[in-house]
Amino acid sequence: MNIDDFLTPRLVGKRFESHSIPLELLGDLAVLEAMIKEAAKWLYMREHSGRERAPRKFADGLSLTLTAVEEGSAVAKITLVATSAGFFPPAEATYLEQARDAVVASIAAASENESPSEHLPPKILAYFDRMGRSLRNDEAIEFPSPLAGRPARLTKPVRLRLLKAAEATERTEEIRVRGAVHDLNQETMKFEMRLSDGSKVSGPVDRQQFDYFMEAFNEYKNGIKVLLQGVGKYNRADRLQAVESVEQVTVLDPLDFQSQIDDLRTLKDGWYDGLGIAPSPEGLNWLCAEFGERYSDTLPSPYVYPVVEGGVRLEWPIGRWDVSLEIDLRERIGEWHALHLDTDEEESKRLVLGSRADWDWMTGRIQALSGVDS
Amino acid sequence: MNEATLLLRRIHPSFIKLGRPTSAAFRPTPKDQCELSVYDGDMIAPAAAYAHYRGMNHESAGVMAVTVSECAALELPVRSDPEPFPEHAVIDFQALGGGQREKKGKQLRDRAERRGWLYEAE
Repeated sequence: MNIDDFLTPRLVGKRFESHSIPLELLGDLAVLEAMIKEAAKWLYMREHSGRERAPRKFADGLSLTLTAVEEGSAVAKITLVATSAGFFPPAEATYLEQARDAVVASIAAASENESPSEHLPPKILAYFDRMGRSLRNDEAIEFPSPLAGRPARLTKPVRLRLLKAAEATERTEEIRVRGAVHDLNQETMKFEMRLSDGSKVSGPVDRQQFDYFMEAFNEYKNGIKVLLQGVGKYNRADRLQAVESVEQVTVLDPLDFQSQIDDLRTLKDGWYDGLGIAPSPEGLNWLCAEFGERYSDTLPSPYVYPVVEGGVRLEWPIGRWDVSLEIDLRERIGEWHALHLDTDEEESKRLVLGSRADWDWMTGRIQALSGVDS
Repeated sequence: MNEATLLLRRIHPSFIKLGRPTSAAFRPTPKDQCELSVYDGDMIAPAAAYAHYRGMNHESAGVMAVTVSECAALELPVRSDPEPFPEHAVIDFQALGGGQREKKGKQLRDRAERRGWLYEAE
């Protein structure tokens, strides 16, 4: 006998609006089974204090199965399936139901800034290292919580609170980092890369990714970087310690805009002979977002430089045209200047970079000067 | 100093991307008070100019140069300014507005880039 709707987590966020669940999220949901079974064992042991361990094959005849994905934004219907024959579910099912409630209660407690340890011990809370790891900033998994009257919301900050309660010295996170591969060991199949903040991290190299790592390693001296997506280990100080696994590695264009902006993030006040003002992180974030949205990948990439007064300067050498846009990050304006170095033909314009029309004007000029379709 | 004299300009490491210097390295910064500081190449070699600058605890990735005649063709006055140190000279941008400084910086960068690096730090 099965228990339908044993758990019906609702995934909330843009990615789930089409009432579907991305495959990467299934990994998070899969952790639920191991977590709930471990919690069930812990509850069993608490009730049977004379025993040293839970019965062998405890809950082996039970498994959690995703039986449907329903609307709203996407609701995963998880059934508790009894794999052994029989009309009634095995006795362990009761413990699994209690365990489910304890997991949901721990999430609710963390989201209310209360102690999740009231509901589960640290060794079980440690499962949140993998549960919820794929969530993005604007996403949540909501678990029905009939007793509380409102769902328990697992979000990124709530997951961090749960891991803190788990007393974990490190945690894993999905990462998307840029860096230069300065070491590649073919014997141990490990790489080491330098991130833009100067720190170094190492990680494993899979056979199918080896050629990309080798290309990046060979081009290290030419400033070539990679974009690495995978899972990274962080310490309690929130510093990336190592790459645990690599899902994808992409060798970046030498003028990759984000990488160039990341280089500017390392500047400190006084960077220019004691005078330069470091560009503000908020300003750089804004510029990255605007540029990513408004500047077509097919257009020539600019060279990016810091400005002594705290701004950013983009330059495009296009044939004999020397084009620049000097950006005031605070006022969000840019001084456009294009000069033909042979004819002295010149154009200049002040651009309001909060305005889509001005970005369109600029990309139109780059397109016209370079002869590239956007 | 004569028309062929090289005016040595040190380039800050942050002003280079993939070996290409920004034209901002060839126009005065706020601390320069509208005068672009250079070394008189008749008095000091590029490597020595680099070492001198580094010796003042300033950063530099290397040395590029324009000539006095190139500056003259761009209507940029050049004069010796030995007060900070004997080899010091300046390219004068004082008579120019912002747009003209931008233009002259690009023209100077073009001339210097054609000449290439005269000294590059290891």
